[in-house]
Amino acid sequence: MTDTQWETYEVFHQTKKGDPHMYVGSVHAPDPEMALQMARDQFARRLKCVSIWVVNSKDITATDYQNEDFFAQVTDKSYRDPKAFGAPDKDLSDEH
Amino acid sequence: MSIELPFSHPRESVLKFILSLADDELMLGHRDAEWTGHSPILEEDIAFSNIAQDELGHSLVWYTLYEQLTGKPPDAMAFERKWNDFVCSRFVTYPNGDFAYSVVRQYLFDEAEQVKLSSFRESSLQQLSEIAGKLLREEAYHLLHSKGLVERLGDATEESHRRMQAALDEAFPQALGMFERVDDEEGLVKAAVFPGNNVLKTEWLKRVVPVLTNSALRIPVSSKNGSFTYTVQPDEGGRKRNHTQHLRRLVDDLQQVYRLVPGAKW
Repeated sequence: MTDTQWETYEVFHQTKKGDPHMYVGSVHAPDPEMALQMARDQFARRLKCVSIWVVNSKDITATDYQNEDFFAQVTDKSYRDPKAFGAPDKDLSDEH
Repeated sequence: MSIELPFSHPRESVLKFILSLADDELMLGHRDAEWTGHSPILEEDIAFSNIAQDELGHSLVWYTLYEQLTGKPPDAMAFERKWNDFVCSRFVTYPNGDFAYSVVRQYLFDEAEQVKLSSFRESSLQQLSEIAGKLLREEAYHLLHSKGLVERLGDATEESHRRMQAALDEAFPQALGMFERVDDEEGLVKAAVFPGNNVLKTEWLKRVVPVLTNSALRIPVSSKNGSFTYTVQPDEGGRKRNHTQHLRRLVDDLQQVYRLVPGAKW
């Protein structure tokens, strides 16, 4: 018997042109075009939104939670932390 | 704000025509809303609920125009009229059954909306043209959704095809009833309010026939040199307030809360 279950698509939305797309959740859909429509109904009706991306969940390559060594810090690397100087959120590039 | 109609327009006919637009949206919005919490898949539950809210919103737009012309508020028109005073088509009043029926009904209705609203852009009645421009933006997405489902479900699996075909066999004669002539249709056409239901029906058939056929669905329509003939009897009567008991039950439901405390402010 053929599998008629819809696939899942991960949804990313953007609230302002130029901002990064943020992950907001997932939808079931038969194909990418319908996934965009489902995502619009699910995530873009109340929140302000200027763009949506959908990605088939199976196209995402992810790390495994079991493999903790992937993120292990075995020696003291605190010297790498920029904690001695605060970084402003503001873009300073057009000052001076 | 109250507005006056130009003298060239047959006032009573225009008013009834606007009511028929509002009543169609109200009843289909109610039927779509009945899927909330009951759709076969969560995403469709939310999509149908969204569409239902949009259709109810569109009914409010038309009832508000009616209020500007008559002083009668939208709540009175939606909640205080008797079930057999509504002038909606029968098509939008029938109960939901298989989800396929609602998909097909929504699709056939959405295509009719495209045809109707596009023709209103050319209306001699300025308000009709302005409202149409606004509603078309939202309707385009209803159509994208319902058409997308029809195209995919029409020939996806043996079961989806069988259920879509059964739904279409039931819905098609009912949908033709959307184009039942309205009172004083000649007067409305002469005043260039709209091009008349026969013109709209032909435009509608031009849109739905290829989509349904390409989705492997059979329809009782044949075309020759741009004109269409069909072998089924359109399910008419609604515009003359000749409804079935289904509308009585729908209106009972729709007005139930309002009738508990008539005139209550929300």
